Amino acid sequence: MQPLAGIISAPIASSSNSWLITPNVGLTIWTLVVFAICLFILSKVAFPRIRKALDDRRLTISESIDAAQRTREEAERLLAEYRERLAEARQQAEQIVQRARQTAEAHAHEAQADVEARRQHLLEQTRREIEAETRRSIGQIRREVADLTVMATEKVTRRALTEEDQKRLVEDALAELDFETLTGGVR
Amino acid sequence: MSAIATTSPAAPAPRAPAAHEPPANPEAAKRRRRRILWGVTLIWIIGFVVFGAAFGLKGHKNNKFEFIQPYHLETWAHIAGPIDFNKGVLYLLIAAALTVGLTVWVAYRMQRRPGRVQMIVEWMYDLSMRLSRDNIENPQMALRWFPVIFTLFVFILFTNLIGYIPLPINTGDTFKLFGAQIPAFQIYAADTNVALPLVLALGVFIAYNAVGLKAQGVRGYLKSLIPQGVGGKMLIFIFPLEVISHFLRLLSLTIRLWANLLAGHLLIDFMAGAMAVLLGLQLIGWLTLPIGVAIYLFEWVLIAGLQAFIFAILTAIYLGGATSRH
Repeated sequence: MQPLAGIISAPIASSSNSWLITPNVGLTIWTLVVFAICLFILSKVAFPRIRKALDDRRLTISESIDAAQRTREEAERLLAEYRERLAEARQQAEQIVQRARQTAEAHAHEAQADVEARRQHLLEQTRREIEAETRRSIGQIRREVADLTVMATEKVTRRALTEEDQKRLVEDALAELDFETLTGGVR
Repeated sequence: MSAIATTSPAAPAPRAPAAHEPPANPEAAKRRRRRILWGVTLIWIIGFVVFGAAFGLKGHKNNKFEFIQPYHLETWAHIAGPIDFNKGVLYLLIAAALTVGLTVWVAYRMQRRPGRVQMIVEWMYDLSMRLSRDNIENPQMALRWFPVIFTLFVFILFTNLIGYIPLPINTGDTFKLFGAQIPAFQIYAADTNVALPLVLALGVFIAYNAVGLKAQGVRGYLKSLIPQGVGGKMLIFIFPLEVISHFLRLLSLTIRLWANLLAGHLLIDFMAGAMAVLLGLQLIGWLTLPIGVAIYLFEWVLIAGLQAFIFAILTAIYLGGATSRH
C-alpha cells in the first residue's frame, strides 16, 4: 500500500495541479471589485445607521442610568426624611403619652381627692341628720314619757295633778331614764 | 379503566419546556445522550462489519481519481478577458450578498430591544470597533479604518461559513437524477483559491504601508521599522530583515487563510470518503467517517470564525503599528 503522504502529495505536486497555488486572475479581479463594493455600500448605508442607533441606545442607557441614579438619590433622601420624621413622630408620641400619663395621674389624684372630700361631706351631712333626728326622737320620747307619767299618776292617785306636780313627776321620771345610749351623749 | 378516563379534563396540560430552559431532569438528559452515543457507536460497528463482509479488505488503488480536482475553478461562463464566472465567483458573490444583505437589513431595522440577528450584527460591529480602537492609537484613524476591519471580518467569516455547506457545484463530476445530469455535491470555499486571500492581504499590505508613509513620512516610516535600541552596524543586518518581515506579513496573511481553509476542506473530503476512493477500499471510508465529521464540526465551529478574526485583528495591528512611532 502506498504511504498516505504519497497519496496526498502526488496529485498536488504534479505540474498539472499548479493551479492550486496559482491565483486565479479572474477571481482576483472579482474579489477586488466585490470587496470594494461591499465596503462602499456598508460604509454609506449600514454603518451610519448602526452607529446612530447604537449611539442613541447608549445615550438612552446613559440617561436611564442617570435617571435611575437621580431617582435613587431622591428615594434615599425621602427615606432619610421619612426616618427623621418617624423618629420625630415617635419622640412626639412618647412625649404625648408621657403627658397623657401625667395628666391621667393628676386627674386620678384630683378625682380621688374630690371623692374623698365628697365622702367626708356626705358623712358629715349624714351624721348631722342622724343627730337632728335623734334629738327630735328623744324630744318626742320625753314628751310621750311625760304624758304617760302624768296619765299613769292621775290614774293611780285618781285626782288631777297640778302643774307643779306634773313638772316634778316628769322630771323625776325622765331623770330615771338613760338617754346616753340613744344620743351618744347628745342632749 | 382506560388512560383517557383516568385523566381529568380539568387538569392542566403539561407545559412543554422552552428551548432555552434547562432540562427538567439532568440525569434523564444525560441518559438520553448516552443512549444516542451508544446507538451511533453500535450503528458504526454494524456498518463496519457489513462493509467488511460486503466489500472485503482488499483494495485496488484508483489512479484516475484526483481528489483536489473539485477545487479547480472550471469556467462556467466567460465574461471578458481573464474574467470568468465560476464557482469561486459564485461563492464570492454569495458571501458578499450575505455580508451586505445581513448588515444592511439589520441597519434598517435597528430596534431598541435587539433580536437575535441584530445582536449578532451588533456583536460583530462591537468586536470590529474594539479591534480597531484597541490597536490603532489615533481615535480618528481607528474610526476611519473600522469599516475595513468590519468588512474584512464579516466577509471572510461568511466566505468560510458557507464553505462548509455541501452544494451541487462540482461541475467536473456529475450524477444522473431522473435523467438529468446534476453536478456532484461538494464543500467549497472561495478562499480555498489563493486569489481571494491574496487580494485581501495585498489590500491590507498596501493600506497599512500607505497609512504609515502618510503619517510619518518616508524617513520616519523607514525609521519606525527599526526596533528600538538597534543602531550602528547592526542596522545593516536588522533593517533588511525588518523589510523582509513586512513582506512576509503579506505572505503569512495570505497563506494562513488559504492553507487553513484548503487543508480543512481536503481533510474533510479525505476522511469522508476520498481516501476510500483513492485506495479502492470501502471499509476505510466507513472507518474514517467519524473523524471526517469531527473535523467538519471543528472547522465549521472554530476555524471559520477564528481565521476571520485573525485576519481582522492582524489588519488592525498592522494599521496601528504603521501609525505609531516605536
